[in-house]
Amino acid sequence: MTQRKRPSSTQSSSQRRHTGNLVAQDEDDDATFTQPSTSQVQRGLEKLTPAQVDQKTAEVVQYFLVKDQKKMPVRRADLVKHVVKDYRNIYPEILKRAARTFDQVFGLKLVEIDPKNKMYILVNNLETPDKASPVRSPSNPKMGLLLAILSVIFMKGGVVRENLIWNTLRKLRVDPGEKHEEFGDVRKMVTDEFVRQRYLEYVRIPHTEPIEHEFRWGQRADAEVSKAKILEFMGELHEQDPKTWTQQYRQAHSLPNSSQASTSSSSQR
Amino acid sequence: MCLWLNFEKNCVATLGICTNKTSSILTTEAVNRPFLYPVSKTCFRSRTSARVKMKRSKGGGDEEAPRHNGSAGRRKADQQQSDGDEGGSDIGPADLQDDDNDQGLRREIRSKYRDLISSVQQNREDMLSPSNNKLTEVLEEANKLFKDVRQAREAALDAQLLVVATDLGKEKASQLFSEGTAFDPTAFAEHLLSFMGLNRLEDDEDEQQNTANGYLPQDAWHRLARRAECCFRTAPSFHYMMGSFYAEPPPPKQRIERQRKAPSKEAKRIMPTQLKKMEESQQEATEKEVERILGYLKSYYQDDPTSPISYYEFVIDPSSFSRTVENIFHTSFLIRDGLARMYLDEEKLPCIAPVEEGEVEAGGSTSRKQCILSISPKIWKELIDAFDIKDSIIRPPNTQND
Repeated sequence: MTQRKRPSSTQSSSQRRHTGNLVAQDEDDDATFTQPSTSQVQRGLEKLTPAQVDQKTAEVVQYFLVKDQKKMPVRRADLVKHVVKDYRNIYPEILKRAARTFDQVFGLKLVEIDPKNKMYILVNNLETPDKASPVRSPSNPKMGLLLAILSVIFMKGGVVRENLIWNTLRKLRVDPGEKHEEFGDVRKMVTDEFVRQRYLEYVRIPHTEPIEHEFRWGQRADAEVSKAKILEFMGELHEQDPKTWTQQYRQAHSLPNSSQASTSSSSQR
Repeated sequence: MCLWLNFEKNCVATLGICTNKTSSILTTEAVNRPFLYPVSKTCFRSRTSARVKMKRSKGGGDEEAPRHNGSAGRRKADQQQSDGDEGGSDIGPADLQDDDNDQGLRREIRSKYRDLISSVQQNREDMLSPSNNKLTEVLEEANKLFKDVRQAREAALDAQLLVVATDLGKEKASQLFSEGTAFDPTAFAEHLLSFMGLNRLEDDEDEQQNTANGYLPQDAWHRLARRAECCFRTAPSFHYMMGSFYAEPPPPKQRIERQRKAPSKEAKRIMPTQLKKMEESQQEATEKEVERILGYLKSYYQDDPTSPISYYEFVIDPSSFSRTVENIFHTSFLIRDGLARMYLDEEKLPCIAPVEEGEVEAGGSTSRKQCILSISPKIWKELIDAFDIKDSIIRPPNTQND
């Protein structure tokens, strides 16, 4: 351990001399973290042993895995401050290797959900099973509630006023005004926890009095949730063919199959 | 706050009221003479001499922005009436009654508008449903109300209602003209409840009520969550398989010693019950042997305390390999119990000596060393030759189970 630290500490001091603008004076602020260029990364890599780089990569992987337990996105600033630390000049390389580890070892995908604020989440890279998973792991009822909310938002075109969600929940015996026996403070869970996990977005509608908000799909939902599968579920529930919701169907299968869903333009009332 | 009232009809006075924090100054240009009349901020009264009688106002807590508009201003005073001095006003009775009617009627109109607005907002989803015409009814109601609207305030409420209604209308229209089937959240909720396993009670009276129609099973949301797993590509959470470590102090050494004895006991218990007698005799035999050997060791030592006893000479029985092994086995008990000790002499050969009475410390803090001895017939023979052992120190016991 000490042997490892010694070269890195001499390195950081030498690097501070060479690359002063990389090592931020205010280490807390991500804004001053400038992404090192490829040549700087190369030079940084040359000064370190492969074992050191692997060790740092492993630390980053562990950090992500633990942070993912609560499904909170990982900020680049936190990552650099707490884990990468002195190795920040080779940060892109470390991240690349970590992503490769996630892919090859765990079957997970490291996704950048917010290019502006540099947030990352982990998403399952493996195919989702068609039926329920054979592994009897305990299910989280919050996911059920989330599915209901996301389905409503999706079927309503992607944006709904908050009252629609609250009313729908009330019909499902979940009253945001009261404490639910399974979910507790429902309003807080939906507007705070799900939003922080980036499953939902809860934005204020301007010029409304009293203040109203609207719900949209969050960035994590965009990455994790399959619209096609939701539509399938809708079809099962309503005993209809998913194709009858043409707009949603088109949206769900948008990328490769946008030409397919152009059938039946007649509006059905 | 500045309030200007304009009286039309019989009154030729133009009334302007300025109020500041501490006093209201009423200026009136009455029929003939203007005058100033300071009043308190909570009410103002008119001077009767000017043949203008102002109605008492409650004043004060009115936040509405005053308008510098004659007709609009009047409502301020009107609105603030409660138990005003209506009687004996020189403003003609006909005007007063008109004011009253208007004012009462207008209050009614405003309240109706507010009801309409709140009904549209509260029952939004209801009105959105394409199955009814509630929105049209609301608009027709508003049309009727609008006929009686005279003042800007009611008109403002009407405009607000229109904004809310058109918003709803736009949403309804988008619903109708969207391709494919419309999505009804209410129907969705119903289907979802069925999916979650709602047990509907058979209760005909409660058809109207939507509350507590049946009860959801305990695992309702879990069922939905399971179904959700298929739609989500969530990364499985990382947890240590054995949980986090539970810090416990290491068990004290005594436990290890006892455990060494315990397995041998348990192993013996596995033997069939008929042999129980023999087991115990074997156990006792071991103890007896150990004591016997201790006796030999002590006596040998006492013969010559200064000369060290070679371990090999002590344990080896030149006539029987198996007995040698037994001797080693029994001697190890002595060492374990701290009754004897082994050490290396100058030639690095093992020697054994009994421990003095006072020095015995049974599970104590003396540093203990363990070692494993192995011996094979070949080594045994070599030892006999090397040490030139002629006979054994430990006499073989009389009863022998080979």
